[in-house]
Amino acid sequence: MRTISGILLLSLCMFMGAASPALSAEKLIVYTSMKESLIGKLKAQFEKKYPDISMDYQSAGAGKLMAKIAAERQSGTVLADVLWTSEVPDFYNLKKEGVLEPYTSSEIGNVLNPFKDFDGSFTAARLGTLGIGYNKKFIKETPKAWSDLTTKPFKGAFGIANPSLSGTSYMSVALLAEKFGWEFFEALRKNGAKIGKGSGQVIDDTASGELVASLAVDYIINDKIKKGAPMALAYPPEMLVVPSPVAIIKNTPNLGAAKKFVDFLLSKEAQTIIAGEGTLPVRTDVEIPAAFNMPTPAEAMKRAIPIDYQSLMEKKEANVKRFNDIMQGK
Amino acid sequence: MASAIKKNEGFGAAQLILALSIGILVVVVAVPVLLIFLNAFWADGKFNVQDVLRVLSEPDTYQALMNSLIIAVGTTIGSTVVGTFFAWLVTRTDLPYKRFMKGMFLVPFMLPSFIGALAWKMLLSPRAGYINRFFMDTFGFEEPLFNIYSFTGIILVEIMYLFPFVFIQVCGALERMDPTLEESARISGAGLFTITRKITIPLVMPSILSGALLIMLYSMAHFGTVAVLGIENGIFNIPTLIYERIHQSAGSFASIRTGTVLASVLVFSAALILWLQNKILGKGRYQIIAGKSFRPMELKLRGLRYPLLAFCLAYIGFTIVLPTVVIFLVGGLTTYGLPFTAEHLSLNNYKFILFDYQVTRDAIVNSVTLGLAAALITMSAGVMISYVIVKMRVRGKGILEFLGMLPFSVPGSVIALGVILAWSGKLGINLYNTVWIILVAYIARYMAFSIKANSAALEQVHDSLVEAARACGASMGQALRDIVLPLVRPGMFAAFFLIFLPALRELTVSIMLYSPTTRTIGVAIYTLNEDGETVMSAALAGIALILIVSGQLFINRLTRKKAGR
Repeated sequence: MRTISGILLLSLCMFMGAASPALSAEKLIVYTSMKESLIGKLKAQFEKKYPDISMDYQSAGAGKLMAKIAAERQSGTVLADVLWTSEVPDFYNLKKEGVLEPYTSSEIGNVLNPFKDFDGSFTAARLGTLGIGYNKKFIKETPKAWSDLTTKPFKGAFGIANPSLSGTSYMSVALLAEKFGWEFFEALRKNGAKIGKGSGQVIDDTASGELVASLAVDYIINDKIKKGAPMALAYPPEMLVVPSPVAIIKNTPNLGAAKKFVDFLLSKEAQTIIAGEGTLPVRTDVEIPAAFNMPTPAEAMKRAIPIDYQSLMEKKEANVKRFNDIMQGK
Repeated sequence: MASAIKKNEGFGAAQLILALSIGILVVVVAVPVLLIFLNAFWADGKFNVQDVLRVLSEPDTYQALMNSLIIAVGTTIGSTVVGTFFAWLVTRTDLPYKRFMKGMFLVPFMLPSFIGALAWKMLLSPRAGYINRFFMDTFGFEEPLFNIYSFTGIILVEIMYLFPFVFIQVCGALERMDPTLEESARISGAGLFTITRKITIPLVMPSILSGALLIMLYSMAHFGTVAVLGIENGIFNIPTLIYERIHQSAGSFASIRTGTVLASVLVFSAALILWLQNKILGKGRYQIIAGKSFRPMELKLRGLRYPLLAFCLAYIGFTIVLPTVVIFLVGGLTTYGLPFTAEHLSLNNYKFILFDYQVTRDAIVNSVTLGLAAALITMSAGVMISYVIVKMRVRGKGILEFLGMLPFSVPGSVIALGVILAWSGKLGINLYNTVWIILVAYIARYMAFSIKANSAALEQVHDSLVEAARACGASMGQALRDIVLPLVRPGMFAAFFLIFLPALRELTVSIMLYSPTTRTIGVAIYTLNEDGETVMSAALAGIALILIVSGQLFINRLTRKKAGR
């Protein structure tokens, strides 16, 4: 009997302990599509700087996060205080629906701003780039142009993350279709290109050799290259540069902490962490480690395929459907 | 005894316990299920079957139904063949090391099938799977040996981890079967083939069928394997479709609607399966005679003894050892895609997951506490409910019996959906996004285990024991505490662990209910894999395996000690 009651007591204590969060500290919940390697380091630095704020984050694909926010809006309370993903159209939508709290950070003068109609609703905190991530065991020559993907070395084994799950993937698909027309994807399909799951999975599939190459997000692949994966990232001349905006959700009870987080994210120390993970910072006064072999933010902005956010937002559903239909051979 | 309660404790106490028991089951199980039916069949304020049929005839939905059926039927047939064959081998032949082999065949029970699926993905994904690579690199195969992302792949993986359901049932039946039946047939001149066909098979048929139906029930509502191996190639079954719909379309009305309709289909099929099982078991009950004292005759395998042993060992090696080893090796890699050489292997991932990575640390703490809490609550409620069902004779008990049966027939994904409907604020209480909603769902899901184990224990306590205590002047409370409780304690123990261990690796329910801080181990493994963090996912799976296996060993020791006394 003593064993039983011991177990019972123990489990009760543990459960209570787990269920009741610490009450003393200020809280902050960030929904982000950034992967652990990036957001984890930022969180650690942020909490070091503000020990009173306990920060939690949910890291998932932009599509999933939006679904979650939509469900939470229906039930009345949005759990997130801050949203930071790479799906810019989502931010325009949320702004239109009045879900975002405008905030112009004091750092705004020090950062590049890719949004012409900037009003403080959301601020770019990173310039994500996508290129051709390839497995060096199978692809011996560095790809130079997007059209290389329709050639024999990539046959049957080029992957693009599912645009309905991944924000960066949707933006890239839309931009490439804008620039080269849907014929480009028809040609890819003819060469056996595949839809993968999330933007992380296509890269791990590239590392393992399940794919020989994929449309790769910079910091995810750079993290794995740093750890020794036999991969490389190549940028064709027309670059895919996708800003990742950060925004504060309206009516958050943790407005103060949320503002501090946005300021922090744009600060030199956070931007240095961002650059250190192999993606482009929004500040020009931050050094990008040479090992990544990346263009500077200014150069990337110049080479970038221009983005018409309004049309991207309006055409999202149609674009995703068109892409899926082409890739599934419908 | 019931009259004794009435006389001495008054009308109130019995009624109170009954009401409380019914109350628990209604709140935890019946309301969520009812809400699902209501949501599915009640549109625009009236009963609406047309709309249900419309949902079911949508291509995606229809396809998912068919896929569920194909996978369930394939898995059931395969597992039945495999399970029956091995059961026969370890009970009715002179296979060497039979006892050891029997133990080994039960090991897959411990392995969560989605971890198995993960391992097989690493071994047999078409271009990168280690086995496929090996054949392509060494023998110059142009095409991969086997593509795991297929119906065959999914079915084979499910068979590997589900066949013990049939194996256990058939082993039990073969061991309990009265050998004199077979002997008399032999004396009358029947050959081995005739005996097997006319005596043995009909006798164990009920057990085979009931094991097979259990597998069918499980496989139809199973999330993990299909989610890991199917979704990529567009193979959805009912639970994965419910999950994708709810997650992708923002929990909109239409997606919840589709979810509830699909869930209703699952509930009806489960009810049908259980009804079939009851019928089969009811018919078979008199045929198996519980004579234990005779050793059944053993078939001499002669020259086949060692080849068959080798086959069994190879099977174990291939289905248990190989996937486990791969999980641990990949979990040790610096990053996925590197070869297994000393310079790329380390314990860093395991360290990171246990001590530094908040997501996985939270997940482990969540799963352990949720498991303990669910086991504790469910065990206690289960004792009370079983007591009413088995021992008390009060009016209204029939309702309780029905409600007690309900959890048996409600698959996990249905419970999750029902819990979302019931506890996300529409009825006044909002637990969504908290750890409590997962706890409520676990309680609903595992109540069946607890009622089953506790009822079995209580049925063995004869009423006369309590009556004797009462006759000697003990109060009802004393009799319960000193007589009944000590006798049912093993049942309670069993219930506790029957709930704790599966809860530790739960995926189907928690994947629908998790929020940033309430990931469970299963969810963390699944989402890490989905995010392309393959090595982290494998390392966590390895840690989960260690937890589960040591938990199981602990129970085995406990029960052995109990049996020894």
